[in-house]
Amino acid sequence: MKRWTMAISVAVALGAQAISLAQAGTDFSGTWRLNQAKSSRAIVGNTPDIQFASQLEVKQSATDISIVGTSVRQQPVSAVYKLDGTKVNVQAPEGITETGEAKLNGMMLVITSRRAFSSPAGDVVVDFKEVWSRTGNELTVEKTRTQSGDSSTQKAVYDKL
Amino acid sequence: MRVIRVFVTISAGILLATAALQAHHSFSATYDGNKPITLRGTIVKLGWQNPHAHIYVDVKNADGKVVTWEVESAGPTTLMKQGLRKEDFVGQEVIIKGFLAKDGTPTVNASSFTLVEAKKEFVNDEKTP
Repeated sequence: MKRWTMAISVAVALGAQAISLAQAGTDFSGTWRLNQAKSSRAIVGNTPDIQFASQLEVKQSATDISIVGTSVRQQPVSAVYKLDGTKVNVQAPEGITETGEAKLNGMMLVITSRRAFSSPAGDVVVDFKEVWSRTGNELTVEKTRTQSGDSSTQKAVYDKL
Repeated sequence: MRVIRVFVTISAGILLATAALQAHHSFSATYDGNKPITLRGTIVKLGWQNPHAHIYVDVKNADGKVVTWEVESAGPTTLMKQGLRKEDFVGQEVIIKGFLAKDGTPTVNASSFTLVEAKKEFVNDEKTP
């Protein structure tokens, strides 16, 4: 009887650990630099189709992920997302309001956000969806921009510094 | 007299070089990568010059007011390689995808534009496969 109790306890402990690991998903923490050679051609050069940060600073805990994206001569965009998908305010440059949410989906991180700003053509709203995946020291970010009923998707690859 | 001539020649050279550099500025210095925008309007004028063609487009706002936008595009050579001619432009309806200028003026850097009637999209040279 005692052996059975012990075996069940061990099985429950192992199961709980497996569930915990699955919930934790991939750790994206680190400093990541854009690898232009491995990224879509449409995001490099003088006129990108979709703007990606040149560098990402990522800090991840069991409940949150903090992301700061920087690019040359561009204002940084940063956010601390709850990993349970709660909507949060993104710290966007002056004149831009942005909300977003992040959720771990298996080994991937999915971030959706809505950005709004004014322009001489009136108010502009842009929706973004980012799917992050990590393989070793390589981070791949697939980003979809939807605006005025039109969507385009591009891919960026980052190397861990 | 000769010294003055040399001085004038050098000054003119510096002025021309400065003008060329200003025309060929970088994207990040002038445009805001955080502000993508899509515009639809009618082409009213064309600046078919190097290093960038400039297209002037009348865009109607939600309140009905028409604003003329300046759209910086790829150079004429790149556009011609994609089959576009100067005479294809004026009066055409166009959809422009690009980024707003940092200074808040109705100026945009186009990553692509589509002539609506011809259903043809023209892209920046760096995105051409």
